[in-house]
Amino acid sequence: MGKKRKHSETADVAVPKKDEAAPERPARTLLGWKDKSEVNGDVEYDDSPVFRNKEKVLVTCSRRINYRYRHLMLNVVSLLPHCKKDNKVESKETKGATLNELVELKNCSSCLFFECRKGKDLYLWMGKCPNGPSVKFLVSAVHTMEELKLTGNHLKGSRPILTFSTNFEKDSHWKLLKEMLLQIFETPKDHRKAKPFHDHVFVFSIVDDHIWFRNYQIDVPHNETDKLPRGGLEQMNLVEVGPRFCLNPIKIFGGSFGGPTLYENPFYVSPNQIRALEKQKKSGKFAKKVKAKTRRKMHEMSNPLEPDEFAEMWKE
Amino acid sequence: MEGPLANDDTMIDGEAENLSEEMSASESESDEDVKLTEPSKTAVYNRDALLDKLGDISWPENVGWIHTLYIDIDQEQEVDVNDDFTRELAFYNQAFEGTKQAYQKLQSMGLAFLRPPDYYAEMVKTDNHMQKVKGRVLAEKRKMEEAEERRKAREAKRLAKEIQAQKTKERAKQKKQDIESVKKWRKQRQQSGFAALGDDADLGFAFEDGKSFERSKGKRPGVSPGDRSGGKGKQAFGKGKTQKKREFRNSKFGFGGRKGMKKQNTADTTYDVKGFNKGEGKGNNKRKR
Repeated sequence: MGKKRKHSETADVAVPKKDEAAPERPARTLLGWKDKSEVNGDVEYDDSPVFRNKEKVLVTCSRRINYRYRHLMLNVVSLLPHCKKDNKVESKETKGATLNELVELKNCSSCLFFECRKGKDLYLWMGKCPNGPSVKFLVSAVHTMEELKLTGNHLKGSRPILTFSTNFEKDSHWKLLKEMLLQIFETPKDHRKAKPFHDHVFVFSIVDDHIWFRNYQIDVPHNETDKLPRGGLEQMNLVEVGPRFCLNPIKIFGGSFGGPTLYENPFYVSPNQIRALEKQKKSGKFAKKVKAKTRRKMHEMSNPLEPDEFAEMWKE
Repeated sequence: MEGPLANDDTMIDGEAENLSEEMSASESESDEDVKLTEPSKTAVYNRDALLDKLGDISWPENVGWIHTLYIDIDQEQEVDVNDDFTRELAFYNQAFEGTKQAYQKLQSMGLAFLRPPDYYAEMVKTDNHMQKVKGRVLAEKRKMEEAEERRKAREAKRLAKEIQAQKTKERAKQKKQDIESVKKWRKQRQQSGFAALGDDADLGFAFEDGKSFERSKGKRPGVSPGDRSGGKGKQAFGKGKTQKKREFRNSKFGFGGRKGMKKQNTADTTYDVKGFNKGEGKGNNKRKR
């Protein structure tokens, strides 16, 4: 495993390495890896130096995860051919360290960790390892691909087209999130398991400070594979494939699963607190009743009734 | 790891997790994902560090679009989160726009991007699952069609009933009219003292001549007014063999049915000579030979 360097540094190193191509295997960096054409002598420099997306995502979950969230995780695994699914992780306090180790072991560059608490709330940790930022989201509005109302289907492993709404440029934390989503969800171009055509599209959009995810199959009547028929775009039809979920960013950390907090969502209320508030409201009913009773008693005591003239009428 | 967070927005101590200030916002909407009405004042927002990190992780600037394949779409209007339909429509439009632009780019690059219909490879949903989906879609369609048919049948039935009601009303009216006209005629005749026998002028009224007669004739053809056998209805009941039997019996025994099954030589009939000679005709003539 090559030393992980910042991108700006490798740019300088890649050029001198070209000469050593024949005798020695060059070190493996994100920008390294000789292109075959370079060995032959004719160099292509459309993006210099040659960029290779070597993103690998580790997908795991915590123990005691709900069936619905487990299916969501499996759906995500099927959508990302460049991911590795791993066994359940004990959700202890040291989970940051455990996860970092796992990622190192599996030789991955980012991680998606589905943490389910109380069997009800799903938190998604998304992080770039080893020193990248990480985000914790609260996931809601989950619909998996198994729902019969989501009728679309697409090739497993085909590269998706990602669409982001321009809201992502509004603020720096959105920009960071956009970059992370891009890197994690976009299948690398020459990945082993990637299939050739582009027949589905992801939608990430920000509504009400939440990130909404949708996945649509593109259905265009066509005859040739590289040219749209005339008027083809008008007959294009998008069918939803799923899954669907909604992410609420809670915190962004500087390190991988830890480190200094760079961003906190000021509007976030944890689901536990919501439930606690509800309970309080309900419990308030009884307390109010008791209070009302005592108040009535006090009132009666302080304003005694005048004796009733007819009270003795029927007494013998 | 990072440089000193020298920003006004940062927290002094690391207990930023303790969001106890949010208890004040008890006026939260009753939703699954509740938002605070006022932002918590202790929230960290370190813009510089965020942008720093962004610089760290981004891919180099000159990476071709083909690697990232992303499109930015402008979301024109504010979408209301709770209005499901418009929200989904906004997402759909975003996807549509994005695909259009992406396809145009891909086409200009000359890459193959449309899946040919005979390209069979593993799909993200299994064939079994797609069968279930198809079944459900068909079932829904069938339900809708059945509902439509039922509604149409109900409408048609109602219409037919109305028409029939009208027809019977008309017929009843007509019948009433006819009877009334006969009564009137009789009254008139009574009044004019049965004198106007040859007077056709009186007759030339409400019978609507031949029309009503014909109608009744049309209803029961082959029945003469003097026939008391119950008309075609009775005859038509037992078609074929029973009809023939009936005819034979009628002819043999006349009215009253079978006399033969009763006792013939009883004490009374021994000395009954009524039917001796004349009875021959009675016995033989009516039987069709």
